[in-house]
Amino acid sequence: MEQIDCDNKTTREINTALRALISQGETEICVRNPRARHNLAVGLIQPAHIVFEGSVGYYCGGMGDGPTIEVHGSAGWGLAEGIMSGTIVVEKNAGNGAAAAIRGGTVIVRGDVSARAGISMKGGTIIVGGSVGYATGFMMQKGTLIILGNAGMALGDSLYEGHIFLGGQVEELGNDAVVAETDSQDAVFLTQTLAAFGYDAARYDFRKIVAGRKLWNFDKKDFESWRVAL
Amino acid sequence: MCGIVGYLDKSGKKNGQLGVTVMQMLTALGRRGPDSAGAAVYTPRHDEAHILRVKLGDHGDFAERAAEVIRRVGARSAIQEQAQDKEYLRLVIGYEGTPQDLQAAIESIHPDVEVISYGAALDIIKQVGSPRALDQRFGLERARGTHAIAHTRLSTESRIDLSHSQPFWAHGALDLATVHNGHITNYHKLRRLYEQRGVRFYTENDSEIIGIYLGEQLATGRSFENALRSSLKFFDGSFSYLAATADAIGFVKDPFSLKPLIVSETDDFVAIATEAVALSASVGDDAPTWEPPAGSVKVWTVPGQADPEPARSRLAAASFA
Repeated sequence: MEQIDCDNKTTREINTALRALISQGETEICVRNPRARHNLAVGLIQPAHIVFEGSVGYYCGGMGDGPTIEVHGSAGWGLAEGIMSGTIVVEKNAGNGAAAAIRGGTVIVRGDVSARAGISMKGGTIIVGGSVGYATGFMMQKGTLIILGNAGMALGDSLYEGHIFLGGQVEELGNDAVVAETDSQDAVFLTQTLAAFGYDAARYDFRKIVAGRKLWNFDKKDFESWRVAL
Repeated sequence: MCGIVGYLDKSGKKNGQLGVTVMQMLTALGRRGPDSAGAAVYTPRHDEAHILRVKLGDHGDFAERAAEVIRRVGARSAIQEQAQDKEYLRLVIGYEGTPQDLQAAIESIHPDVEVISYGAALDIIKQVGSPRALDQRFGLERARGTHAIAHTRLSTESRIDLSHSQPFWAHGALDLATVHNGHITNYHKLRRLYEQRGVRFYTENDSEIIGIYLGEQLATGRSFENALRSSLKFFDGSFSYLAATADAIGFVKDPFSLKPLIVSETDDFVAIATEAVALSASVGDDAPTWEPPAGSVKVWTVPGQADPEPARSRLAAASFA
């Protein structure tokens, strides 16, 4: 496994070194001493396996299309923002806006995430082993958000489409987020998706949260709910 | 995009490394705020003396003003120590009256004269420039104490000068200081209400109003934690802020979680910073970290433990080294 030591390197030098190794055909890369720096491993579009031995800062793995990234620590804000595909696994916690606006891929945070995880997501899957903060899944448009722990205020606020599966309790559902019946397909999906990352779906009593579709079209009668939503 | 940090040693003893730790945190966040840097260091004293730090003005030679401040303060209390460096005058005094009376006596010398900090444990140093420059002038790395909060500033809406730098002492409230990252959006409205009641604002920095509110709440007998908690409903906008008193440190995070804040805590210490990079650079990566949820408040108190060491903050009024 190739190694990159972040100490005494600029962020650009680290990312350039990552790209150089990947373009040489390297598929296993270990990055040491990331020390919560921002913008690491951004914009990578090949299927390499990158391991960060420590915590990373903001936007780790952002705009990626293909790589598998493991963070043996916590991640800051904007983890995996806007990725198209690939897998990003964080062993501890992640900050605000984790997996914001992703179009595909899988983002797993084994600890807790802060506010607005999966905001405006347009595909892909997010799995949170711990709890999630304020306005998780805000305005999500597609994809699946699986939360094994509890959720804060405004869960799924103003979501258009997509599914949120919640294993724990919710402080308050967001505007137009409603609980729907789960079916056998959901159970199969959850079992398979979670098993791939070492979680047993049978241990949770999942609730499915979807759009109530009241905010899909503007109706003057619903002005009050619009006022709150906006 | 400012950077705020806080550190509290849970032993209750004066931590000899406090200044070094705060400098490591501030330096790591320096790029979030290149305009000014400052720190509020809390060092408990064994005597009844108070530390007074005065800004003598914005420009020029301040020997005369320093002499006038010393004359006025000396007429009201014993002066144990005094040191001046350019615009800063630092006195250690045995004053027993109210902070407001002392402040009025000093600030009536000239509109530019401002009491920067006053407390039994608090000492604030701040200036335009980098954390490194702050340390070079005031010896921040030599500072010892139980806890500290500090700030690096990227000015967005108000002037860049000493008075607009943070931490802010909550004028009139002994030992109370704040550092803020964000924007209080109902500042102008609240400021007008306070001004109608005769409260003086020293800057056009929205962050100043946090200390004014907290000072007012504490004066009514509210606990520190309750004062912080009620501020969540008083202020609008984006804010992660830290406040400190002689024996406590606490954070407040706005109800929409618009500004970052991360906490690292062990049995020995709590370290709080805008970004994890500051924790990594100071207390290391091994301690567990967590990001406070939206609308949360938490306070840590210095245990009341007798400290055998003699009291002295080691912070220079100026370049005393």
